[in-house]
Amino acid sequence: MAVEPSQDTLNGQGSSLRAVVSMLVGNKMPPLPQQPAMGFFTDTSLCIGCKACEVACKQWNQLPASDPGWTGSSYDNTGQLSATTWRHVQFIEHIGRREDGQNGYSGVRSDISGQIAQAKKDNVIPLIPPGTALPFFNTDRWLMQSDVCKHCANAPCLEACPTGAIIRTEFDTVYVQQDICNGCGYCVVACPFGVIARDERGTHTARKCTLCYDRMKDGIEPACAKACPTDSIQFGEVAKLKAHARERLGILHERGVKEARLYGVDDDILDGGLNSFFLLLDEPEVYNLPANPQRPSNNVVPASLWTILAAMVLGLFGIIFFRE
Amino acid sequence: MQETRLPEIIQENLPPSNPVERMATLTTGYTPDLERELQEEPSYYDYPVLKAPVWRWEIIWYFFFGGLAAGCYVIATIASLFGSKEDRAVVRTGYYLSLLAVLPCPPLLIKDLGRPERFLHMLRMFKFKSPMSMGTWALLSFSLFSGLTAVIQAARDGILGRWWGAKLLAALPQRLLALPGTATGLFLGGYTGVLLTATSVPLWSRSKVLGAVFISSAISTSSAMISLVLRVAGAPAHTLHKLERLEWTALLLEITGILTFLRQSGRAARPLVGTAPAEHGRTFWSFVFGGGLVIPWLLQTFSLLSGQRKNKQRNGRGIIISLLVLMGGYFLRRTMIEAGHTSSKDARTTLWNAKR
Repeated sequence: MAVEPSQDTLNGQGSSLRAVVSMLVGNKMPPLPQQPAMGFFTDTSLCIGCKACEVACKQWNQLPASDPGWTGSSYDNTGQLSATTWRHVQFIEHIGRREDGQNGYSGVRSDISGQIAQAKKDNVIPLIPPGTALPFFNTDRWLMQSDVCKHCANAPCLEACPTGAIIRTEFDTVYVQQDICNGCGYCVVACPFGVIARDERGTHTARKCTLCYDRMKDGIEPACAKACPTDSIQFGEVAKLKAHARERLGILHERGVKEARLYGVDDDILDGGLNSFFLLLDEPEVYNLPANPQRPSNNVVPASLWTILAAMVLGLFGIIFFRE
Repeated sequence: MQETRLPEIIQENLPPSNPVERMATLTTGYTPDLERELQEEPSYYDYPVLKAPVWRWEIIWYFFFGGLAAGCYVIATIASLFGSKEDRAVVRTGYYLSLLAVLPCPPLLIKDLGRPERFLHMLRMFKFKSPMSMGTWALLSFSLFSGLTAVIQAARDGILGRWWGAKLLAALPQRLLALPGTATGLFLGGYTGVLLTATSVPLWSRSKVLGAVFISSAISTSSAMISLVLRVAGAPAHTLHKLERLEWTALLLEITGILTFLRQSGRAARPLVGTAPAEHGRTFWSFVFGGGLVIPWLLQTFSLLSGQRKNKQRNGRGIIISLLVLMGGYFLRRTMIEAGHTSSKDARTTLWNAKR
């Protein structure tokens, strides 16, 4: 459904006067009618690591390809989200996890040859084939996640932005107006997820996922969600999606996937949760997600109070010394 | 655009016999244990969680000059309102230096932008929540007051000549204008620390006293700068004595602030105090904490206790103290920014910092 800005202020009677007034007041256009909050639900239990989302995003948003390179650590050769990479598929290869603990990272390889020898000796085909990397059923696991901007309910990048380039749209998403941003770089250090970045080769402005604002305006789902072949990336109204996420978590728990957990749904991350949230199959840290990042703007008041205190102490001593 | 980055392990196991390393452990209360952390703390191939700051040398120099401009203005105002007639030298020097120091600030900030031609977009908003927005307005209003106060001072000193305009300027109420000017000056001197605290970088944001450290540094470097100029120009010993005591107090507060900062930051302070290749401990301990704070503070203590001696000897030592303090103020900002880059790349510490 297309949402057109109202043309009243531009065409109505006395438009020039109104234009001057609105320019002075700084309210050039009436706000667009509020739409239901839209967001992503990225269900990592369904991700197959095909990277179609990465490609679809690059194509639709006309983003340049990244320099080709091999990380050497996994199938992930994208490495990170960046100013020109707005979807990033991670490959967490837990091959040879420790068998006793459920979250061991000791690097001790599971004894595949031992298991095979045991199977030969017992003459029984084991229920779980040794060395397989299927998720859920094995100590070896291969987790995949398509990372993206979290479109936080209280977005630190938006709170930090001194120019007002970063705005909240009528769909409750966080959007960087490219014609306003002057590339100050404050949002880059404000974001606790390392999402937003300054495009040093192209526009020299801050860029990140727009949740395909242009497509949403025409009532089409974002390119990555459209391209996802397994519905690991789902797009929709945040409230409905969150309900769906809880339901999905219940199903997984029922089926014995005890590690499954939601990130950004009910946990009040950044004092309000995320509009783009995840179902994870391990601790958030495994996916490079901070468990409970602090909201940078919450630091302004305590930091200011300490500064004022120091300034007062120094001012007082200055007065005492110069009075004599 | 570093699209594909190899994992970077910031920390290293170092021999605890290293004296710098021992200082780092002592002040932060944290002993790195890489083996245990690698085993117990999951991360994604140590890829950075955060994006590295885009701020470089421009911001370091801006922080230094901004602090100097603010501090000189504040000291000059205190001297003007509460000082004796002899202290007029401090007022004069302070206001002139303040204007000189604030002049390079806007160009440095504009150059730092990704799109410098859009610098005016900073003035689209007045945003309480964003220290950068508030800082922009503070710098703007401070420049105004600093310029005006310095011009009045120049008119009163007869630099502008004897025509009616100069007389008019000299008649303006400098002390009254200095009051709001000082308020914006104190803001300018301290907000830079608050700005760094309101980020997600562990080193900058874990402790909340960085603003207090920066304002103390602004006052200490400024009193060092003013006394340096006055010593060269030959000011009365009594006035210099006042400045020395203020400098001594500011240095003490700065040392206390930095120790509090390190203790509260704990593990997050490693990039600032540690000795691994990417860490900045060597510069920090020698040029900031040792050479820039403790040594000049001790020299100043000795100088204040020893009382009035030969003027020449005092002058020599005073100049050395001033230069050391100025160097310390610059390197404080430099190591803080550069260590912030390192901190943003340390995935495990970032994830540890987000566990609350």
